[in-house]
Amino acid sequence: MVRDLFMFAGFNESSQIVWFKIIYSKEPGSLSSVIDFLEKENAFIMFGHLDNITQKTGEYSVFTELNKDVDPGDFAQKIKELAVVSEVDYGISKYGMVYSMDFPLNVIGVRGVAARALTIVDIIKTFNQNAPHAEGLLTISGLKGGIHAAKYFKSILNLNDSNFASVLAELYRGVGWGILEIDCNPETYEGKVIVKDSFIADVYGGADQPVCAFMSGYIAGYLTEYFGKNISVREVSCKATGKKVCEHIISPAPSGGTSQEYQFRGETR
Amino acid sequence: MIRQPNVILGNDELLVTMGRKGEILGYFYPRRDHAQHVEESVACIHTGEKLLWTSDNEWQSIQNYIEDTNIVSTKLYHDSGIRISILDLVHPIVPVLIRRFKIQSQKKISGKFFYYSNFNVGETSKKNSGFCDTDTRLLVQYWQNYHIGIYSIPDYTEWQIGKAMDTIWWTNSKYDMEDGKLQRNKEDIGNINNAAGWDLELEAGGTNEFIIFIGAASSRRLLYKRMQEISKLPLEYIFEKTREHWVMWLSRKQVLKMPGLEGHDNLRQELFTAYNRALLVLYLLNDREYGSFVAAPEFDSNFEKCGGYGFCWNRDTSEVVLALKHSGYPEYCEMFFKWCIQTQLSDGSWFQRYWLNGDVAPSWGNFDYSTQIDETGATLYAMDVYYRILEGLKKAEFLEEVWVSILRGAEYLMKRTRSGIHESCMDLWETYYGVFTYTNASIYAGLMGASHLAEENGEAGMARRWKKRAEFVKQATIDRLWLQEGYFAKGVINGKLDKTVDASILGTYVPFRMISPKDPIEKDMIQFMIENIKKKLSVPINLSYGIKRYENDSYINGNPWVVTTLWLSEAMLSLALDLPSEKTTLDPSYEIPYEKEEGYDETVKKLTDEGIQCIKWALAGATSTGLLPEQVDQSTGKPAWAIPLGWSGSLMIDNILLLDKICRRKAGNSKES
Repeated sequence: MVRDLFMFAGFNESSQIVWFKIIYSKEPGSLSSVIDFLEKENAFIMFGHLDNITQKTGEYSVFTELNKDVDPGDFAQKIKELAVVSEVDYGISKYGMVYSMDFPLNVIGVRGVAARALTIVDIIKTFNQNAPHAEGLLTISGLKGGIHAAKYFKSILNLNDSNFASVLAELYRGVGWGILEIDCNPETYEGKVIVKDSFIADVYGGADQPVCAFMSGYIAGYLTEYFGKNISVREVSCKATGKKVCEHIISPAPSGGTSQEYQFRGETR
Repeated sequence: MIRQPNVILGNDELLVTMGRKGEILGYFYPRRDHAQHVEESVACIHTGEKLLWTSDNEWQSIQNYIEDTNIVSTKLYHDSGIRISILDLVHPIVPVLIRRFKIQSQKKISGKFFYYSNFNVGETSKKNSGFCDTDTRLLVQYWQNYHIGIYSIPDYTEWQIGKAMDTIWWTNSKYDMEDGKLQRNKEDIGNINNAAGWDLELEAGGTNEFIIFIGAASSRRLLYKRMQEISKLPLEYIFEKTREHWVMWLSRKQVLKMPGLEGHDNLRQELFTAYNRALLVLYLLNDREYGSFVAAPEFDSNFEKCGGYGFCWNRDTSEVVLALKHSGYPEYCEMFFKWCIQTQLSDGSWFQRYWLNGDVAPSWGNFDYSTQIDETGATLYAMDVYYRILEGLKKAEFLEEVWVSILRGAEYLMKRTRSGIHESCMDLWETYYGVFTYTNASIYAGLMGASHLAEENGEAGMARRWKKRAEFVKQATIDRLWLQEGYFAKGVINGKLDKTVDASILGTYVPFRMISPKDPIEKDMIQFMIENIKKKLSVPINLSYGIKRYENDSYINGNPWVVTTLWLSEAMLSLALDLPSEKTTLDPSYEIPYEKEEGYDETVKKLTDEGIQCIKWALAGATSTGLLPEQVDQSTGKPAWAIPLGWSGSLMIDNILLLDKICRRKAGNSKES
């Protein structure tokens, strides 16, 4: 079952995609009153699903298209003021990462698939346990994806120094890979990325070494394509090794030529 | 990863396999089975905007051999108007592949020509070392005593040696080409790849030419010397020498005449071409030092979907060397039998398969119950066939050389056939354990051959004993495995008679001659077998039918095989030659195919025509370059699995020689009448 996905067909500058998670009391007509309110306020409902929390309370997650002028915080507050509603959480999609009008699912412009994190982590584990140069292989696999992602965003919106980080963060959240905090100086190409709840580290179980090489590669590919310069991203701290979050260090890749520094890893590791 | 070739080329030390776009899939040096040094080796063009890999789907290709040679022409066409003409040849003596790229474009291009390689020198990605010698313009990668080098004319102007699969991805030569310029790193170690680059400045309609030499050697010094010397020679000279080498080798072949093949459009020429191609392929599958042959160039070295083909099987090679003998190249028999003497096991049998140097290969036949007794039978049989064509002193010398081996092999067969049929072992398809018609037939032939050689060696007692056992095996096989339905059962599996129709039962007639058309009843048996195989194993594809191995075959989708189809046609053509011309008295209880309402001439014509149909079917399933595969895909009609398979090639040769004989006989009869 596909859940929690944005559903829209393209990038509309006059509107915004806002999701609300609404906890409501399950009385006769209570859900209708929420939906009626959304309609009355011109919140175009794009997709929603219901969860039972208890016998008395339910959770309604809904994706809406709101006019750009509407303040999502105010709107959430109004929902919360409804008699049947006890809690409201919300979030905004500025760039529209994932959408699905029909089969198949589409992720940033090309066909996507939903998979359990465990399924992907099983693949990663299999590589790590069996394939020589697994870390390099995963880095390069991620690199390709990151390059494609940046190419796509460059083609549909004005990717610039003020939004390149937030676009990547929204993508990670949209596809469920993790919550990113990116601090990257576009002039020096240096910085770091904190990944909270990395799907790889979360599911991998305990490990002695960082396990998110695929993500490092993905971020490297994204930044390399955006900056037009080779960027090194290496994971220095990983939740799978017992740390609270995963941390990836961004730096310009050493230039090649006759320089020997990278051969024996030098400062890049 | 499994990638089947469309073309192969090489010399005595080097075997190269390529895809249909000229991408190198295998580079075997110094033996055909080891070591395979290339993971990827392919050209690409940077147009100034993007990188075009010549192996990508967006290129259309036409690939063929230069006639009667192992020189390859590949033409690539891109939608953008770029055309690349590649000429590939391996020098006849030194292990150097020479690749000439002619690049043309309808539009002006200001970009780069790159040649990218991911070598796994020594067949390993570990502990390789690579460097670019900017003084001599030689790119070298080595591991232990294997050295692979790239040189070019004109000199490449940029290069990269980088990590092929590492977290420091920006050194990777494959990615380094993306921006249209290389970083010029000069050396690295580990799992590495390399790229060489040239400026590509093309006016609309203009041409650029690059010659790339990819050579191998056992030392750095030798590699340097080889590359320096060969690069001094004009390409036209090397081309002519190479062409001459192949033409000269082919000139020794048994000449075909094929008179009177009217009514079959272009068939005569197609058969001449197929005959030459099969011979040229077998040359490339042979190890000149040891005399052994790979069944096919290895394409599944990780055994992902099968057990691999880059090894020597006595069963396949016995067929191959006899086909070469029949076509004018008896020396391959002699070399192979020397190898057999060295590789025979202490119990007198031969192992499932070997490395070309005679070491036992990875096997699932390590025990008496899992060995393949037919391989021992086939080897003794082949030795005797070869002996029969020798004359004078050579005959005596050969017998002296193989006698002990014959004795040990025959006694092994005696030991495993005490009850007439053989003890349980694995079948020729390497799938089932049990007792098999084919294996019994091969044992019969092996013991008969050994008996003949014993007689020639003055060992009348042994000759009698082995012949008696051979006849016992024959009788037991007929008594226990011949079915009223008119064919031999596949065998006895798990103690039960397995009535599956299996094309290998043809082995009772060809090649092993356990049953003979000279005997009226056995002649009928042969005809019934042929009919039943056609009826039960035909798979319609490519406007005709091919023959699968056996009912309910599931190996690689149960495709029809070139081997079994040409085996059937060989039986048909042999029968056309063997049939006694006078009418024989028939058992009225049998309904004899062909002869029911037909005379001798009609029967021969029908057998010949059907044999030709099978040959044409096999040729339709070959690659664009004429390589015969093991199988033909039953859905697409395209060549499938092992390409080229030596056994398929040897059967093609046998079939063509038989057809030639039929044509000559018919022409002779016409003259007489």
